[in-house]
Amino acid sequence: MSTDANALSVTGLRAGYDASDVLTGIDLHVGAKERVGLFGPNGHGKTTLLNAISHVIWPRAGEIRFLGETLQGLSPQKIVERGLIHVAQANWLFPDMEIGETLELAAYTRHARGVLKDNLAYVMQLFPRLAERRRQQCKTLSGGERQMLSIGVGLMCAPRMLMLDEPTLGLSPKLKDELAEAIAEISARGIPLLLVEQDIVFTLSLVERMYLVDHGEVTREIHRGSEVDHQDIMDMYFGAEKTR
Amino acid sequence: MTADTISAIIVSGVVLGSLYALMASGLSLVWTTLGIFNFAHGALMTLGAYLAWTMSDAAGLGLGLAAGIAVAVAVLIGVGIVMERSVVRPFYDHRDILLITVMTTLATMTLIEKGIQLVWGARLKQLAPIAPGKVEIFRTTISAQELLIVIVAPLLLGALWLFLRNTRIGRGIRAVGQNSAAARLIGIDVSRLFIVTFALSAVLAGLTGILLGSVRLLTPSFGTDPLVKALIIVIFGGLGSLSGTILAAYVMGIVEAALTYFVGIYWTPSIIFVLLIVVLLLRPQGLLGKVVR
Amino acid sequence: MFFLKLRTVAIPLLLVIGLLVPIFVQDTYIRHLFIIAFIYGIVASSWDLSLGYAGIFNFGHIAFFGIGVYAAGLCAKLLGIDPWIAMLIGGMAASAAAGLVALPVVRLQGVYVVLVTFAFSQLVLQVVISQSQITGGTLGMVRVPTIELFGYNFLRDYKLGYYYVAFALLVASAFCLRQLVRSDFGLSLKALRDNEDYAVSRGIPISTQRLKVLVASAFFAGIAGGFYVIYLRVASPEVFNFSTVSLVLSMVLVGGTASIYGPIFAALGLTFVLEGLANVNGLAEGRFMLVAIVMVLVLLFLPKGLASIFSRK
Repeated sequence: MSTDANALSVTGLRAGYDASDVLTGIDLHVGAKERVGLFGPNGHGKTTLLNAISHVIWPRAGEIRFLGETLQGLSPQKIVERGLIHVAQANWLFPDMEIGETLELAAYTRHARGVLKDNLAYVMQLFPRLAERRRQQCKTLSGGERQMLSIGVGLMCAPRMLMLDEPTLGLSPKLKDELAEAIAEISARGIPLLLVEQDIVFTLSLVERMYLVDHGEVTREIHRGSEVDHQDIMDMYFGAEKTR
Repeated sequence: MTADTISAIIVSGVVLGSLYALMASGLSLVWTTLGIFNFAHGALMTLGAYLAWTMSDAAGLGLGLAAGIAVAVAVLIGVGIVMERSVVRPFYDHRDILLITVMTTLATMTLIEKGIQLVWGARLKQLAPIAPGKVEIFRTTISAQELLIVIVAPLLLGALWLFLRNTRIGRGIRAVGQNSAAARLIGIDVSRLFIVTFALSAVLAGLTGILLGSVRLLTPSFGTDPLVKALIIVIFGGLGSLSGTILAAYVMGIVEAALTYFVGIYWTPSIIFVLLIVVLLLRPQGLLGKVVR
Repeated sequence: MFFLKLRTVAIPLLLVIGLLVPIFVQDTYIRHLFIIAFIYGIVASSWDLSLGYAGIFNFGHIAFFGIGVYAAGLCAKLLGIDPWIAMLIGGMAASAAAGLVALPVVRLQGVYVVLVTFAFSQLVLQVVISQSQITGGTLGMVRVPTIELFGYNFLRDYKLGYYYVAFALLVASAFCLRQLVRSDFGLSLKALRDNEDYAVSRGIPISTQRLKVLVASAFFAGIAGGFYVIYLRVASPEVFNFSTVSLVLSMVLVGGTASIYGPIFAALGLTFVLEGLANVNGLAEGRFMLVAIVMVLVLLFLPKGLASIFSRK
């Protein structure tokens, strides 16, 4: 199935907390330059999956390959060095640090430091609001600005792929549109994306392909423009639960 | 109350405050970054002073104070690393890391103090002052060494501040203290920075010891009193921030100098403790602090 | 089951052994060690009441012991109060001090409790040193009156009287502590330690319970302190030292937290081992380094048995 042409390929991944497995065997892949969505009810393992891929928690079984190489046994910072960047959900970052400092710090790995200037200019151009607030502390940011900073921090890490965990959580429709534009722009630069979202409209507007995750497994794969449309997905998740 | 009295109180308060600020900032640095409280901080101070004494004093190797400082810094970096590895690191995943490390660092304190007593004996020692003689400031006479402390302490603290603010490692240390999970996701090696922080704090302790060792007599338990003062300061200042701690240190120095003048040294500790209890009843997070675990 | 049976036999057996020790041990020095160990046993096991059972990060317990030492010593020496009563006053003074410390402590969390209790013990030390016209300052207090009963001096017959008083105090305190931790009060303490939110929601008054446990555990430490000063007839500010804190803490840890008997046996064992080491050349100071290392090793390698007891499920 997954070949080395993929940016990311995950096979048979199991992971969890304490005694129980949250993920009971995940298979998925993200092609080079592809944008892939991950959709499913809350508490069914989407965030756990990202945590397992970035080794915030250790996978219990299965294999993760990034750009053709296994990530087996690598510490989280080694994975960041490889360029696989995980932008965590509702990330408060560093409350007492300034925006500018935070962005500069995020270029922490040797490679990222080498391209710090270019990346910083790019982030500032992408999110002019962060440029205005360079000297403000992270804790003073609004929800939308914080999301921008989180993504900006991810970009400063010099990503070869980005995993975004619910970037639009709690944002207004207007801000969501702004973020969608920025994310599309990032992806247009050739950076593959794995996008975890609860907002199906938002997800469908961005991705080419989407996995449905349910009870720690991938239950379905949907291609954009294929027969399954928006309403079907809504029914599958929300309609089905009502009739249960 | 005359102007001379006020000047005397402020001058001696600032001398005390400078020392307290140096001691408390090392404790605070480790607390904000690692979330543990190092009770051996005072003993590390003592160790630094004794090492400097051995290297510099005529009764020791007589190599001069620069050699003393260099050796003390080098040894304390090593001790800091070993300490972090042996009595702190094994408990990072433990739910009660705070309580357990209070005990392990307390044990380390005993180990270092008794070790010092074994190596250097119980006899009092004193480091030769870097600046001998007396000086008069605002019509108050203090020793030149005390003036040196008043000047060096802010310089060291300023250097620490610049390091934490402007260098990659320094910013990394702050990031780890504020959100270690997020720090890990940008590629920071959290456990390496824990070691760096611990070693840095040990060096600060040692330098404080060297400064203090020339105005007070060295005994193996020389660090106990400063440690206790630093404890009270971090409670007053709140545990959240380095700047709060430093401010609290100077305030505490002046309050202590004023109390000593008005009620005498006998009742000063009691009054400070009563103040502490009142502050904690009214503001459990400290005067300047924010809520911590 | 077997263990339970063993226990029902073991306790009376140990009581009998304890009573018979003076018959086999006539040496004054060895008896002295027993007496000191019994005192440490009381201090360590009562500390475990607040530290282990109630989960309060109380590091002022040695100060309560020291307050007992000085309160009893001063009452007996300066006020001429009968030394028996003075011991009791030692206990009450320690309890009163604990009540004062509890004022902020019951409202605080985590590291603040550690800091306040530590600061408190250092304050007591400084007060003792500064009031030297009464306490003797750093030189300490000497010639504290000794106890007598019907004209019998307890120091006679190779400290026979003191041995039995110390033993009786240990047994009485162990019995009271056991009853305390098994009572409803003791169970409510464990409930608070293990799941504070749940216990509070079930109507356990958290501040009151913490206040009570601090006052209770300090009482035993204070009595032990009172006996200590009456027995040794001297008091020195060294009782407040960090070394004393580490020593008794190591007894609690080696014996096992949230246990009454454990710290008592650890106190006996460590006292004799340490005295033994004191006679080994060059270990007079080094033995305390060994205690420190043992403490860390216990925390490192016996987490299941000892340190893990701290972890609340």
